[in-house]
Amino acid sequence: MSFPKKPGGKALDVLQNLPRITLANLRPEPGARKTLHKQHGGNRSGRGHKGERQRGNRPRLGFEGGQTPFYLAIPKYGYNEGHSRRPQYQPLSLKRLQYLIDLGRVDPTQPIDLTQLVNARGVTIQPLKRDYGVQLVDEGADIFASKINIEVQRASEGAVAAIERNGGVITTGFYDPISLGILIKPVPFFLRGQPIPKRMLPGEDMVPYYTDAENRGYLADPEKIQQARLALAKKYGYILPDISKDELYHMLAMRKDVRQIFFGLAPGWVVSMPEKKILKTTDEKLLKYYSS
Amino acid sequence: MAAHIARRCYLLCRSAGVNLVPQQVKLRNVLIRDINNTTQLSVGYGSRGTDTTQDTQVHIPVDRLTVSYSRSSGPGGQHVNKVSTKAEVRFHVQTADWLPEDVRQNIFEKNKNRINKAGELLVTSELSRSQQRNLSDCIQKISAIIAEASEKPHEPTAEDVALRAARLEKGNKERLKQKKIHSATKKSRRVDFD
Repeated sequence: MSFPKKPGGKALDVLQNLPRITLANLRPEPGARKTLHKQHGGNRSGRGHKGERQRGNRPRLGFEGGQTPFYLAIPKYGYNEGHSRRPQYQPLSLKRLQYLIDLGRVDPTQPIDLTQLVNARGVTIQPLKRDYGVQLVDEGADIFASKINIEVQRASEGAVAAIERNGGVITTGFYDPISLGILIKPVPFFLRGQPIPKRMLPGEDMVPYYTDAENRGYLADPEKIQQARLALAKKYGYILPDISKDELYHMLAMRKDVRQIFFGLAPGWVVSMPEKKILKTTDEKLLKYYSS
Repeated sequence: MAAHIARRCYLLCRSAGVNLVPQQVKLRNVLIRDINNTTQLSVGYGSRGTDTTQDTQVHIPVDRLTVSYSRSSGPGGQHVNKVSTKAEVRFHVQTADWLPEDVRQNIFEKNKNRINKAGELLVTSELSRSQQRNLSDCIQKISAIIAEASEKPHEPTAEDVALRAARLEKGNKERLKQKKIHSATKKSRRVDFD
């Protein structure tokens, strides 16, 4: 009786017992890839033959041999003025948010904050490039089906409708650049040993946005927000679910204070990572400053 | 200025029965009072375009409408082939008791093209790439139809009637005056032999 040979052999057994193959587990066979070494030697030291190239006298970047270069030929116009100083918001589509929730990278049973999104590597924010946060875009509004409490910096109307349709809560809040830097990288900030600063209020041009109930701004009147919720439900043709009857109502109603950066931490506290302690000040003047 | 607004919000929240002491981390339960209001299962009257004084707001109850989605037409590659974005809303006109009787009759008469044999008013929209936006567009269209059907003929007020009568009177007087002047001219040209 000859037993038929199992196709694949021992390799298949090994593969079935090892953990899942990911990019982190793969490596080329030693000797398969040859490293490219730096330039060493050569008659002309790798600089070519005569001319500006060899003599290190090439003209500046953008020069086109005398022809009017591209960056000067294109005329300036008013709509581009100050483009590099405008606040930018990294878009986050509802499709991506649903993807993150489905994979378990973002926890829908806790309030979703920019910190949570960055920890889940859902978005990448660069405060030094004039990023002021994240904006919620309504791509994927048709397939979005999660009840979440989310705080973003901007949100389109369709996105707000999609979140409220599923019984969630959305708020738009402002973070000044320093607070934003702290929000996206909390641990390096705590390691600095500085007290948590208070979040600054928006500048004059952004105040109308954040005091408007239509945008669910964090400075808006709560009654007007409720009216806006109803109006949006009427406009988009869905029945607004009653959140107060929900079991997760306590979590959904959690909102940050105007001057607060982190949930559970107030401005003025110092978080000590090595000792795992929170230090709170007792000085009167400091207390008055941080609670103003 | 922003600080004033923040303070106003603080005060509002205080009046709402929540103490907002930023030192202790209190959760802002501002939504409690608001959500306890009854949520209305209705759609507001589309008062966007018509600024005429129409106080009777007809709410479109969304659960009385039949909504169905299907695939849209037109170019768009894989997206338009796979995703159902065309929204179709229909409701039976005669049994829609959320509409006044005369409005129902008007809709029936004016929109014969949109009403099928079963008596249902059919409204479709494939305006955008999103189901929700198309549904919103359908609702706006329905509101427009209802607005058009509930237009009442404008009745002139007592002032208008008086003004019209005064104008007619004036016109008549002017006409007679001109007639007398003309008659005088003609008389002056006549040669009388007596």
